[in-house]
Amino acid sequence: MKRAVQSVLALAAFTLICRLFPLFHVVSLKQATAEQVAATFNATQFAENFWTNQLPAATGKAVKAEVLVPAIQADPAAAKKNFARRVGLSEGYFYFVSGHGRVLAVSDDEIALAVTDGGTNAEVTLQAGLVFGNALRDGTGLLNASDYPNSQDFNDISAALNHIVETRVLPKLHEQAKVGASISFTGCAEVDDEAVDLKPLKVVPIQNAMER
Amino acid sequence: MPMRSALKKLQPLIALVVMLVAMTLLSDKFLTIANQRNILLQISVNLCLSIGMTLIILTGGIDLSVGAILAFAGAFAAGLLKHGLVLKYFGVVLQFTPFGAMVAGIVVGLGLGLFNGMAITRFKLPPFVATLGMLSIARGLTLLWTGGFPVTDLGPQFGFIGAGFWLGVPMAVWISAALVILFYVVSKHTTLGRYIYAVGGNERATAFSGINVDRIKLWVYALGGALAAVAGLLVTARLDAADPKAGLGYELDSIAAVVIGGTSLSGGRGSILGTVLGCLIIGVLNNGLFLLDVSPFWQQVVKGFVILAAVAADKLGARKE
Repeated sequence: MKRAVQSVLALAAFTLICRLFPLFHVVSLKQATAEQVAATFNATQFAENFWTNQLPAATGKAVKAEVLVPAIQADPAAAKKNFARRVGLSEGYFYFVSGHGRVLAVSDDEIALAVTDGGTNAEVTLQAGLVFGNALRDGTGLLNASDYPNSQDFNDISAALNHIVETRVLPKLHEQAKVGASISFTGCAEVDDEAVDLKPLKVVPIQNAMER
Repeated sequence: MPMRSALKKLQPLIALVVMLVAMTLLSDKFLTIANQRNILLQISVNLCLSIGMTLIILTGGIDLSVGAILAFAGAFAAGLLKHGLVLKYFGVVLQFTPFGAMVAGIVVGLGLGLFNGMAITRFKLPPFVATLGMLSIARGLTLLWTGGFPVTDLGPQFGFIGAGFWLGVPMAVWISAALVILFYVVSKHTTLGRYIYAVGGNERATAFSGINVDRIKLWVYALGGALAAVAGLLVTARLDAADPKAGLGYELDSIAAVVIGGTSLSGGRGSILGTVLGCLIIGVLNNGLFLLDVSPFWQQVVKGFVILAAVAADKLGARKE
C-alpha cells in the first residue's frame, strides 16, 4: 500500500514538473520542415546581398596599391602593422587594396601588374583562375566570424563570394587584360606565407575596369 | 595502528596540500581567482564521472564505458534539441525543449548503465568485459546518431548549464557540487550506500545475509551511466556542440581520480569525498603542469606515475593491515 502511494506521488510530481517544464512540443511534419527551411542559412543569398549592397560602399576604405606596395617592399612588418587586418589568433593576415596598374603578363590563372611609377617587375598579380580561400570574406573587415555561431555558415559565405568573383569579375578581367593596357582594380589579398604571397602581392579582384 | 589508519585516510588531502603549496611557489598565476575557478570548471566533468565510478568500484566493479556513454548522451540530447524526433508514421515531429533534451540524455545514460548492469548480473560477464563492450556500442551509436559530424549551435538556454555562471561560480561547478553532496549522503547515510560498501567488502557474505546483490549492482551501474550522461550534457553545453569524439580516455581520468582518492580497486573501501580530492589532485596537476609550460606529452607520463604511486600506496597499506 505504502509503495503504491509512493509510486502515485512520484508520478504526480513528474507530471507536474513536465507540465511546468514541457519536455517537447508536438509539431506536424509539414510545419517542422517549413520552419527548418526558413531557418536554414542561405549563403548564396547572403553573398548576393553583401556583394550588391555592402561591398561597393566599402571599397573607398581600401588602401591604395601605390602606397601599400612600396610600403611592403620597404618593410613588410611595418606595412602589416599599418595596413593589414588579422582575424582571430591566425598568423595569416589580409590587405584590402585598390589601385591601378599596367598589365605586364597575362595567363589563365593570373594577370601580372606593375603598380608603381616606372615599375617593370610584377608587383601585384590579380588572381584570374579558380578562387580559393577566405580573402574576400575576411579581407574587407565587413564580416565577423563571431556573428555566425555555425562555422559552416561562415565557410559557405566564403565559397559563395568566391563563386561570384569567378562568374562575374574574372570573365570581364580576362576580356580587358591585354599586355600594356592599364586597368584599375579593387580586391583582397590573403597573406599566409610572406615569402610566397607578398612577392608579388596576390590579389583576388572584386572590381576591375579598363582605363583609357 | 589508529594513527597509521588516520594517516592513510589523509593521504590524498596531504598530497593535495603539498601540490597546492608547490604550485603556488612555482607559478604566480596559480593562486589567482580566475585560475582557481578554471580548475573547478575543468574538474566538474571528471567529478560527475568519478562519483559514479566510485560507487561502481566500491562494489568491486569497474566501468570502462563512461567516456563513450558521455559522448552518446551529449550527442543524443543535442540531436533531439537541434532536429527533434521525427515520427513519420504519425506525421509529427517532437521538438524537444532544452529541459526535455537534458532529461532524454540522462534517461539514455541511465539505460546504457542498466544494460551494463544486466550484462554483469544476468549474464555474469566480468565488469571489465561487459563495459568494454558497451564502450564500443556507445561509440558506434554516437557515430550513427550524429553521422560522424558535430551537432552545433544548441542555443543559450542549453549552454547555460555548461557555460553559465551563478553567483560568480560556473553552473557546471554548482551541478557537480550538488551531485557530490547528494551521493555523499546516499553512500554514507542510506541503506543503498551501506549495501554498496557491503557488496564490495564481501559479496558472498552480503548475499548470504539476504541482500539482493544483483539489484545493488544493477542500480550502481545505472547510476554510473546516468552520471556519465550528466557529464556529457555539461561537456556539450560548455562547447555548444556535441562532438562524436567527446570523452575519449575520460574513463581513465575517472578511474585515476577514484584510486588517487583512496578508493580500493578491490572494493569495499573508499569514499565520495576521497574522490573529490582525487579529482582536485588531477585537476591541480594538469593545471600546474600547464602553467609551468610542461609539454602535454610529459603531463601524460607524470599523471601515469601519480596513478601508479596511488595504487602502490593502497596495496602496501592493505598488506600492512
